[in-house]
Amino acid sequence: MFKNEEMEINLGPQHPSTHGVLRVKLRLDGETVTHCRPMIGYLHRGVEKICENQSFFQGQVWTDRMDYCSAVANNLGWAEANEKLFGITVPRRAQYIRTLLNEFNRIASHLIWLGTHAMDIGALTVFLYAFREREDVLDINEAFCGSRLTTTAFRIGGLREDLPPGFEKMVRKFLAKFSDCLEEYENLLTENRIWKKRTIGVARLSAEDAIALGVTGPMLRAAGVAYDIRKAFPYAAYAEMDFEIPTRPEADTYARYQVRMAEMRQSARIIQQCMDGMPEGPVMAKLPKILRSEVNEVYHATESPKGEIGYYLVGEKGSLNPYRFHVRAPGFINLQSLPKMAEGGLIADVVAAIGSLDIVLGEIDR
Amino acid sequence: MNKFLRTLLPADIAKGLSVTGKHFSQVFFTANRRKVPFHIVSEYPEVPAKVQPRFRGRLTMLKDEQGVIKCICCLACEKICPTQVITIEKGKQEGRKMPYPVRYDFEMERCIFCEFCVESCGFDAIILNHQFELAAYNREDFSLGTVGLDQNMFEPSHVGKFSVADD
Ligand code: SF4
Ligand code: SF4
Repeated sequence: MFKNEEMEINLGPQHPSTHGVLRVKLRLDGETVTHCRPMIGYLHRGVEKICENQSFFQGQVWTDRMDYCSAVANNLGWAEANEKLFGITVPRRAQYIRTLLNEFNRIASHLIWLGTHAMDIGALTVFLYAFREREDVLDINEAFCGSRLTTTAFRIGGLREDLPPGFEKMVRKFLAKFSDCLEEYENLLTENRIWKKRTIGVARLSAEDAIALGVTGPMLRAAGVAYDIRKAFPYAAYAEMDFEIPTRPEADTYARYQVRMAEMRQSARIIQQCMDGMPEGPVMAKLPKILRSEVNEVYHATESPKGEIGYYLVGEKGSLNPYRFHVRAPGFINLQSLPKMAEGGLIADVVAAIGSLDIVLGEIDR
Repeated sequence: MNKFLRTLLPADIAKGLSVTGKHFSQVFFTANRRKVPFHIVSEYPEVPAKVQPRFRGRLTMLKDEQGVIKCICCLACEKICPTQVITIEKGKQEGRKMPYPVRYDFEMERCIFCEFCVESCGFDAIILNHQFELAAYNREDFSLGTVGLDQNMFEPSHVGKFSVADD
């Protein structure tokens, strides 16, 4: 008499918890997800092609607009990939400032993740507290480069300008209060029974699966693999910094939360070290007036807050613009693990899984 | 048994609520709410928002002390602009050795406020001002230029009246 029938529904592309314009096609058996496929491409702007038609100098503004929550990290990858292509050595002071801003960016990105992820799961309060500190980080961005979100912070060969007056005071003020703020978030969430019920054991992704799918960043570290490009292939000034790679063995949503919280603490530590050991000197290397590439190809990977962001650039002889430009976007590759995490679970846990991925659709669709 | 007790006594919830309570009492029981350090909301449209000195706002052309446009039409800004929103028409003006921009068009709706144009200008002829409220109702309001338009490139536009007060 009763027929067992599966139902197909769309989650998104306008669903508030899919973080932009992600559409997830779900097949449901009751409340259990039997089939899950993310559908992407709604925000495709052709960033790679645009960059191929613009000069090396201009390309940076498009990297801002890929992952707009961590624009500084994208800028850093772009600048360093170009420096590798042209064989430019960046002054040490510029390296330190880059590291400092990159870590601030990591904090901002993790805070926006914390706020929105908690909001998806039902803890609205954290969002307001997380955005309070994010505001300070954005102010620091604004003081340094004049823009809050789409920073265009660096230049090929160094920085456009040195630190502004009063910058150190802003940073120290932020650092002085930040550990208290982290404690506040943890008071709100870590022990909270609803939070724990919604996250512990939810959306597991084992280390084998994560490595097989190419997942990087906090997702991989929450599965117990201590892989961080900042340590494995140090760039900028990370070789001189003393920090740890937080990992958790559980590989569930709660573990990802713990890893990201611990990462913010480490970031604050790195910022402290950058500030204390800031060398003097110029911030811009000597560059030729016009950057013309040789026949060459580079791949440069950096650790963005979401995972490994890699820039692949191919140069053409005497050309002003790259012959080929490709981005290995961490969000794009991490998203492939969604079916693995969601299938077999409940539909409510799909939202937790998407949240714990920390994706930005601007970067996935590019 | 232990688990049962923990379910009965909501210590975890109380811990979370204490954060809210702390902030609530700090703000609520103070006579002058603006003095509270944790009171972080600014009353923005009434109190103009402050921006940092390096803020990148709308493109503005500068004039020198005699009121002459500083731009000498080197076209560097036009070339570097990633979105190609600047159009310059080169011309001559009587009593001026350098070329003079007969037309300097700036389509603000496509500008991404990257400051590359200002950086490329070797004559300090343009800056990005501190204006950030740049929304307008008509598309025509975004076409700025030096001639033939009711808005011009030398002053802040009439659309962001709040941020102008700050300048
Ligand atoms: S700020 Fe950037 S986009 Fe705007 S006009 Fe200048 S170069 Fe072009
Ligand atoms: S770069 Fe400066 S001087 Fe040259 S055309 Fe542009 S505004 Fe004029």
